[in-house]
Amino acid sequence: MGTVHARSLDPLPMSGPDFGVHGDDAELVEVEPEAKQEVLENKDVVVQRVHIDGLGRTKDDLLGYEIAEVFTATNLIDVMKKSHEAREKLLRLGIFRQVEVVIDTSDGEDALSNGVDVTFEVAELRRLTGSYNTMVGNNEGSMVLGLKLPNVLGRAEKLTFQFSYGTKETSYGLSFFKPQPGHFDRNISINMYKVSGQFPWSSLRETDRGVSTEINFPIWKTNHTLKWEGVWRELGCLARTASFAVREESGHSLKSSISHAMVIDTRNSAILPRRGALLKMNQELAGYTGGDASFLKEDFEIQLNKRLFWDSVLSTSLWGGLLVPIGDQPSCIADRFYLGGPTSVRGFSMYSIGPQSEGDYLGGEAYWAGGMHLYTPLPFRPGRGGFGDLFRTHFFLNAGNLCNLNYGEGPRAHLQKLAECIRWSYGAGIVLRLGNIARLELNYCIPMGVQSGDRICDGVQFGAGIRFL
Amino acid sequence: MPNCLFLCATLVHYAGPSYSNYTFHLFHSAAEPWPENAALYQPLKDDQILLSDHASSLAVQAYLRMCNLPVQVVCRANAEYMSPSGKVPFIHVGNQVVSELGPIVQFIKAKGHSLSDGLDEVQKAEMKAYMELVNNMLLTAELYIQWCDENTAKEITRPRFSSPYTWPLNHVLAYQKQWEVRRKMKAIGWAGKTLDQVYEDVSQCCQALSQRLGTQPYFFNKQPTELDALVFGHLFTILTTQLTSDELGEKVKNYSNLLSFCRRIEQNYFEDHDKDSITSSTSRLSKGSFLM
Repeated sequence: MGTVHARSLDPLPMSGPDFGVHGDDAELVEVEPEAKQEVLENKDVVVQRVHIDGLGRTKDDLLGYEIAEVFTATNLIDVMKKSHEAREKLLRLGIFRQVEVVIDTSDGEDALSNGVDVTFEVAELRRLTGSYNTMVGNNEGSMVLGLKLPNVLGRAEKLTFQFSYGTKETSYGLSFFKPQPGHFDRNISINMYKVSGQFPWSSLRETDRGVSTEINFPIWKTNHTLKWEGVWRELGCLARTASFAVREESGHSLKSSISHAMVIDTRNSAILPRRGALLKMNQELAGYTGGDASFLKEDFEIQLNKRLFWDSVLSTSLWGGLLVPIGDQPSCIADRFYLGGPTSVRGFSMYSIGPQSEGDYLGGEAYWAGGMHLYTPLPFRPGRGGFGDLFRTHFFLNAGNLCNLNYGEGPRAHLQKLAECIRWSYGAGIVLRLGNIARLELNYCIPMGVQSGDRICDGVQFGAGIRFL
Repeated sequence: MPNCLFLCATLVHYAGPSYSNYTFHLFHSAAEPWPENAALYQPLKDDQILLSDHASSLAVQAYLRMCNLPVQVVCRANAEYMSPSGKVPFIHVGNQVVSELGPIVQFIKAKGHSLSDGLDEVQKAEMKAYMELVNNMLLTAELYIQWCDENTAKEITRPRFSSPYTWPLNHVLAYQKQWEVRRKMKAIGWAGKTLDQVYEDVSQCCQALSQRLGTQPYFFNKQPTELDALVFGHLFTILTTQLTSDELGEKVKNYSNLLSFCRRIEQNYFEDHDKDSITSSTSRLSKGSFLM
C-alpha cells in the first residue's frame, strides 16, 4: 500500500516554508483532536498541482491521463480516494516497481489557502528483467528462460522474449505490447513464435511457426479482440505405428486467419469464482487472406456461478464449437476440436472421445460439452482461514459429444447427430487453487455413455490446468 | 490444436478389447495375401513430381507389374512427408507402409513373391553391385542436375516442387529442400563437380549397363529382376523428360540396346492396362509437355 502523508491545512507562517511548522502541528493535535478530524472530513480543498517524481525514460504525456482524475477531488477524503485509484492505474501500466503518494499543502506564490499538492513518488522498473523456470510435463522436462523489457520506448510498451528448451521440443516467442496512452484497455500486440507440441492421443507431432497481430478494445461492458494470424504448420507422425489417417495429414500447410473474440466476465475470480458469469464467443475465418487452410470456426463458452447455502457454490458451464470447411478441402486435424480428459469431460482419457482410427483420435468438426459443479469447503473445514481455504470439495456432472458433420444434411440432422450417443460422467473430488491462474483436481470419476473407440479413465483422475469444464 | 500447458497424469483403462499396433511383426504380414486395395503414393503427376522421384516411382511400379501384383497409383501433394523415411514412393499394403525400392523388394519377398530367387550367389552379388551403381551414379546425377544446376533449379525444379503451396510457404519449402540436397552433395563430394563432369559420369554408367546387358533381353537373360525394374525406371524417365537441355537424354540414346530394353519392358508390362499405363503419358511426354 502506498503511504499518504497529510500535514495541517493551516496556512504556513509568513516567513515561508519552515520546518518549525511541526511544533505547531503537534500542539494542534494535542489541544484540539476533534477539530482536526473535522478539518479532514469537511474542509473543501482544491488540488492545485499533481507531481510525479522519479521518471526516467517514461514520457510525460503518457501519465497525464492516469492522474487527471485527481484534479477533480473536492475534499481531502476524496483526494485520498482518487489518489489511490490513480496509484492503481499507474501500477497497472506495468512500468513502475512501486508508487507512493504524498499529499501536501500547496506552497509557492499562487498557493491557495485550501490548496493541496499531490506527489506520486515512483520507482521505474529496470530496463531488462529476466526469469528462469523449469517445467515438468507429460514425460518431458523443459527449461524456460524469459526476458522482459518493460517500458521500452517510454510509453508503457513491453517487449517479452521467452525461450523453452525441453527434452523433446524447443519453443520460443517474441512479443511486443503497446497500450494506447490514456486508455490502457485498448492495446495492440504483435507476436512471433515457434511452438512445438507432441500429442500422443493422436500420434501427432506439430510445429507451428507464426506471426500474429491483435488489437484489444473494450466496448461498454465487453472486451473485444481482433486478431490476424499467419502460421506455418508442420504436422508429422509421432511414431512409426501412427494410423494411416494421421499419416495422411502429415506435411506443411499455411493458415492465414482473422479472428474476433468477445468476452464478458463478471466473475469475482477466474479460478473457483463465487459469483458472476462468463461469456466468451470466438469466430475465426481462414483462407481469405492467403494460405492453404480455408474454414470458418465458431466456438463459445458460458459459465454461471451462484452462491448457495453454507458457503457452497453451484457452477454450470457450457462449451460448444463448430468448424465449417470452406471449399472442397476437408478440415485439417490441427483445426478440429477435441473432447475428453481431466479438464473437459472427466472420466475419459485426454482428448480421447469421438472419431478415431486405429487408436489415434482425429478430433471432430462440432462438439458441445456441459458441466454442473457443486463446490463446498472441505468437510470439517481443516486449516480454516489459511491453507484450508485453497481447497474445495467438488461434486460434478459432465456431459458432451463430438462428431463430424456432413454439412449437406442441414441443421436438423446435425442437432440430432450431436444429441445421440452422449458421453457423460459424474463423480466427486478435491480442487486446489493455485494463485489466480491455475487449479489442480483429484477426482473419482464414473464415466457413462461410453461409445466404442473412446478411452476411459474410470476411478481416480488427476488434472491440472487453467481452463476446466 | 488445443494448448495443453500443464501436466495431466491419468490412470488409463481401455474400454473394450485393446487394439495395439505394436505387435505387428513381419511374420504376421507375411501370412496375409496381397490385398486388392494396395496403393502406391507419389507426388502429383502433372505439376509436382520431379525427375528423381518419378524415376524411383516408376522403378517400383515396374517391379510390382513384373511380380504381377496389382497396385493403384495415388498422387498426393504431401507424399514425401507421409513417407516414413521421407522418400517417395511408398506403398500402403494392408496395415503396412513401406518406402523405397530396397525395403519394398524385401517386403514382397516376405509375402512369397520374388524375381531373383533363380539367381545364384554370384549373380545376386552382381545384381546388388549394379543396383548400387545406378543409385550412386544415376540417381545422384539426377539430383545434382535438378537442384545444384542453378538454371534447372530456377526454371523447373523449384517451381514444380513448390507448386501445391501458397506464398510465402512455396519459396520457403523449395529453398529448404535445395539447401538440404546441396548439403548432401557436399557430403558425398559432388559439390565440386561441373555439369559436364556429371554428364560424363552418366555416360560412363550407361556404358557399364549397356555392356552388361549386351544382346540379352534382360540383365539376367530371360527373366527380369529388380535390377531391370530399377534401370528401366531411371532410363525411361530420363528419355521422356524434358529439361532445360537435351543432353542427359542424348547420353542414354547413344546406347541402342538400352533404348530397346526400355521399349521392351514398356511393351511387355505397361501396355496391357490402357487407363493408367504410361504410354498415354509417353505420347504427352514426347510432345514436350511434361516438364521436369
